[in-house]
Amino acid sequence: MINSILRFGLIFILLILLQVLLFNNIQFSGYVNPYVYILFILLLPIEIPAWLLLLLSFATGLIIDFFSGSPGMHTFATVFAGFVRPYVLRIISLSDGYESGPDPSMLVYGFRWFLSYTLLIVLVHHTTLFYLEVFRFADFFRTLLRVLLSSLFSITFILLIEFYRRGK
Amino acid sequence: MRNLLNFLTRYNNLIIFLFLEGIAFYLLTTGNNYHNSRLLNSVRGMTRGIEARIYNTTSYLSLHEINENLAAENVALKNSIGKLVRKENSLFSTVNDSVNKQQYLHTSAEVIENSINRQKNFFTINKGESQGIKVDMAVISASGVAGVIVGCSKNYSVAMSLLNLDFKLSARIKSNGYFGSLSWDGRDYRYAILSEIPQHVIVNVGDTIETTGYSAIFPEGVIVGTVSDYEKFGGDFYKISILLMTDFKKLHFVDVIGNMKKTEQLELEKLFK
Repeated sequence: MINSILRFGLIFILLILLQVLLFNNIQFSGYVNPYVYILFILLLPIEIPAWLLLLLSFATGLIIDFFSGSPGMHTFATVFAGFVRPYVLRIISLSDGYESGPDPSMLVYGFRWFLSYTLLIVLVHHTTLFYLEVFRFADFFRTLLRVLLSSLFSITFILLIEFYRRGK
Repeated sequence: MRNLLNFLTRYNNLIIFLFLEGIAFYLLTTGNNYHNSRLLNSVRGMTRGIEARIYNTTSYLSLHEINENLAAENVALKNSIGKLVRKENSLFSTVNDSVNKQQYLHTSAEVIENSINRQKNFFTINKGESQGIKVDMAVISASGVAGVIVGCSKNYSVAMSLLNLDFKLSARIKSNGYFGSLSWDGRDYRYAILSEIPQHVIVNVGDTIETTGYSAIFPEGVIVGTVSDYEKFGGDFYKISILLMTDFKKLHFVDVIGNMKKTEQLELEKLFK
């Protein structure tokens, strides 16, 4: 228990630092803003109680908001992603169900499962985030393009991080 | 009562979810109103130390370029001083008008935090109320318009960048004086849009666009950019694409300009509205 709290604390800090120091500074044509910190929500154990998941999502979003000077935006999107995570897990569940022990990582459930899991949650998160940022439906398709391109980059970076973890 | 408890236990996650989203939405709607930016200032206060440290490192790497720009600006300023001195000497009267002589007050500042990749971009400068910065002052870079101050703390200020969907500026074509409204469309950080120029006006690619000074924020004649493209838009107007003079990707040193006669102008205008 203590062990896993320590481990997730470390992952949490590393991902926040990575996001704030590296990915927030990627300024590539205004269409690509990868948000990799959402990986923290993806990695939390499957049997985590929903209320704890929501609170952790809230904390993650709030800290990212502090560092990007955008009060509420990331908080809203991350809490929403945390809320849909149990439903996503149910939709893409494996035929023999989930094991109770391990975290939902690529290491345990394989590449294809992890890809669809990441894809769904990143899309939910980015769609909420980018439409909240613009806060209007004018330029609907341009925002959609930003969502898709940024999601592509976020997912790529998340998979790279997971491959790196698997390689170790 | 029992039903209520049943209801609460059954939907407790939904209730927590709605509660947390409520807080987030509250932050979003009140926090983004940068004119009462108390929350923003306290929030930024926590991360400012880290931002300043990152800024220190990155600014060191670009010192060479900054020096060159400063040297070029110095030369330009020296030239204009020369012109001014000559003009003053040729005057007959030597009225010492300490009240009305100077309308605009310049303060130089450094940008310590900046973004160009959002739809609503802001930047932070290292001067605040103690150095005389106030809300609604204009911010220009060495090459052109940069933004407007929207929030001040004691030693720092946050400015709304020109690269912000909410930014509006009254600007005109220098060669013929027709003015329109300048805004950013959120696409490319190098281009802005000038609208409300009627179609009978002759527009050429390369025309200089400058501020009008109607708003009492920006002084008259600050360069904004040049016309890069234009198309007919709607019935009567052009939609003119402006190549911005200021490179927001390397915004380092800026001038904050306060209009000392702003209150006078605004009060007079209020009488007729």
